[in-house]
Amino acid sequence: MPVLILGLGNVLLGDDAVGPLVLARLESEYRFGAGVRLVDGGTLGLALLDELAQARHAILVDAVATEAPPGTLVRLDGEAVRDAVRERLSVHQVGVADLLDAARLIGRYPHSVVLLGLVPGSIGLHLGRTAAVEAALGGLVRAVAREVRSLGYECSKSARRSGGDRPIHALVRHFGV
Amino acid sequence: MTHVVVDPITRIEGHLRIEAEVEGGKVTQAWSSSTMFRGVELILEGRDPRDAWAFTQRICGVCTTVHAIASIRAVEHAIGVTPPPNARLLRNLIIAAQNVHDHVIHFYHLQALDWVDIVSALSADPAKTAKLAQSLSDWPLSSTAYFSDVRNRVKAFVERGQLGIFANAYWGHPAYRLPPEANLMALAHYLEALDFQRRFIKIHAILGGKNPHLQSFLVGGMATPVDPDAQASLNLGTIAELRKLVAEGVDFVSRVYVPDVLAIASFYKDWFSIGSGVSNYLSYGDFPMDDSPHPVLYIPSGVIHAQDLTQIASVDQTKIAEYVTHSWYDYTVGNDAGLNPYHGETNPNFTGPKPPFKRLNVEEKYSWLKSPRYDGAPMQVGPLARMLVAYGLNRPTRAKTLIAAALKQLDAPPSALFSTLGRIAARAIEAQVLVESMGMWVEGLADQMARRDYRIQDTSHWHPSTWPKDCFGAGFHEAPRGALGHWVHIRDGKIAKYQCVVPSTWNAGPRDAHGQPGPYEASLEGTPVAKPDQPLEILRTVHSFDPCMACGVHVVDATKRELARVRVS
Repeated sequence: MPVLILGLGNVLLGDDAVGPLVLARLESEYRFGAGVRLVDGGTLGLALLDELAQARHAILVDAVATEAPPGTLVRLDGEAVRDAVRERLSVHQVGVADLLDAARLIGRYPHSVVLLGLVPGSIGLHLGRTAAVEAALGGLVRAVAREVRSLGYECSKSARRSGGDRPIHALVRHFGV
Repeated sequence: MTHVVVDPITRIEGHLRIEAEVEGGKVTQAWSSSTMFRGVELILEGRDPRDAWAFTQRICGVCTTVHAIASIRAVEHAIGVTPPPNARLLRNLIIAAQNVHDHVIHFYHLQALDWVDIVSALSADPAKTAKLAQSLSDWPLSSTAYFSDVRNRVKAFVERGQLGIFANAYWGHPAYRLPPEANLMALAHYLEALDFQRRFIKIHAILGGKNPHLQSFLVGGMATPVDPDAQASLNLGTIAELRKLVAEGVDFVSRVYVPDVLAIASFYKDWFSIGSGVSNYLSYGDFPMDDSPHPVLYIPSGVIHAQDLTQIASVDQTKIAEYVTHSWYDYTVGNDAGLNPYHGETNPNFTGPKPPFKRLNVEEKYSWLKSPRYDGAPMQVGPLARMLVAYGLNRPTRAKTLIAAALKQLDAPPSALFSTLGRIAARAIEAQVLVESMGMWVEGLADQMARRDYRIQDTSHWHPSTWPKDCFGAGFHEAPRGALGHWVHIRDGKIAKYQCVVPSTWNAGPRDAHGQPGPYEASLEGTPVAKPDQPLEILRTVHSFDPCMACGVHVVDATKRELARVRVS
């Protein structure tokens, strides 16, 4: 698959839900051309290797801890992604770092890897996002769509929200976007 | 005396912290603490019980299926519904695939490097490695050229300083004992296992609509349509694909994983008498073989007391109670009481130190895990418990045959299984038992299609109006790490109370009201530690339980000065 959009995070841990929720919104609000695959990766590491290994371009969507205030949009690419997961800026550092290393080890590292995310306000055990992150979600959704278009793939706003029969919509119903 | 501390760094499922006293080169006492509250039970109260699985399956960042299975079984038990045969077969396949996948990843990617020295592997002779590999198994990838290529590839990565995955280990530690050739063989299989696991777990995507976080679970059955001719369902094409993936799995586990474990074990036989710990074992059993209310289970249930394999008692859930004497919770009935999960309480009361801290006060409460006990006794759960029950029962099973063969090959008595290495060997043997059994369930599905039985859900109890006003249910499952139970109380169609007792709580829980240590704590007693600033041996024993919690180690000497800090999981 030329482009993989991988949403990472635990939906039970407050703002950590950013990755899966952005995925759900992209699925319901946008139409993607052939060659773009959206995957809700949860908090997994090595089990996602097959998805990553088949991608030419990978866009990781995650909560990213930096010094900036909650809700700040963060974009990292190239070596900065590896450094970020190694330095534990991404809150799924172990899984993501091991996943990227494993892809390198088996010689299947994507041509490009970009990390897009928001600085979380709270990642404690609760449902629902903090106000700052909730307000910034739409911006992150649009940033991912721009990223897909910049790679030369189609990604346009749907005329209406899709019906919700895809598996990921169960997630939206359960956890609310 | 040296004080050794294992400390958390990630939040995937919870944090694990181990504190140990080391004296005369051995651990004298150890304490296991989870430093993260996981009160998912509170999130579930008041919700529709048919939705519970979608929440619970996100509890664990490692096993996505296990809490979904336990949850739907608990709700089905409460409302009195039995899934049809197709759903039973699909669930057995999903559970077995999860276990096999997890066991392979655990051995190669989370545990092997405690026993395999990568730096030593880089100095191995590829020709000698090929000879060694060929003597152990007829696996085709065992040529000199192959091992030479693996060595050069990994060398290049290490020299470029790229390999975080191999960083922070204790390369060159005196407790590493494999010759360079065995290290190189294991390293090659580490890489092959990466590729194997990514193919094998496609089974979950086929059966679950997506992976991770399968979407095909349903109270009363499964949401996967079964129809030999339809496109968007389990059909003859998917049966063919499953056959192929299962055959690949049998191949890898029986010709690579099991031979590797036995070969590595033969260099570390002293570890068959280290890490024994708690002498009781509990298996709920799993993999129903028929559709009756009390089906025969392919992996049997049973309780073992005091390592006595001749007396396997049956499991009675009313004997399970959780204690909070050393846990950061309060019980309304008093903190030294034990509560059965049906009457369980989750009232957090954190009294521990504010992180970062040097030491826990282990005289008081010191963990977010409760202390589950069976009839008052601590229990080990996991592959070893399951394999011991199967081995002890007086009936022929594949598990019994494979355990006997492994013991013979290693020239070890059955008592060798009660050990750190026993837990590792049992996990490998169980992977083989389960991956072989998957073929039987795939054929079961094919037979169902042939006789045109496409039923996938019992909908007779879907509507809450069909449920009793007040009902209780317990759902049991054997997850990769061991016995998992969910208990639910449903009132007026909503969840009134929910409790999960997870494998890592049985194994990693703290001392109870009577001061009895949990399995991690007990197993560490007597573990040798050659270099307290590099506690490799402690990691071997903790990792042998397959902790679901990632953690880090730092070591503190008697003056409590931090000596080292590394990631261990």
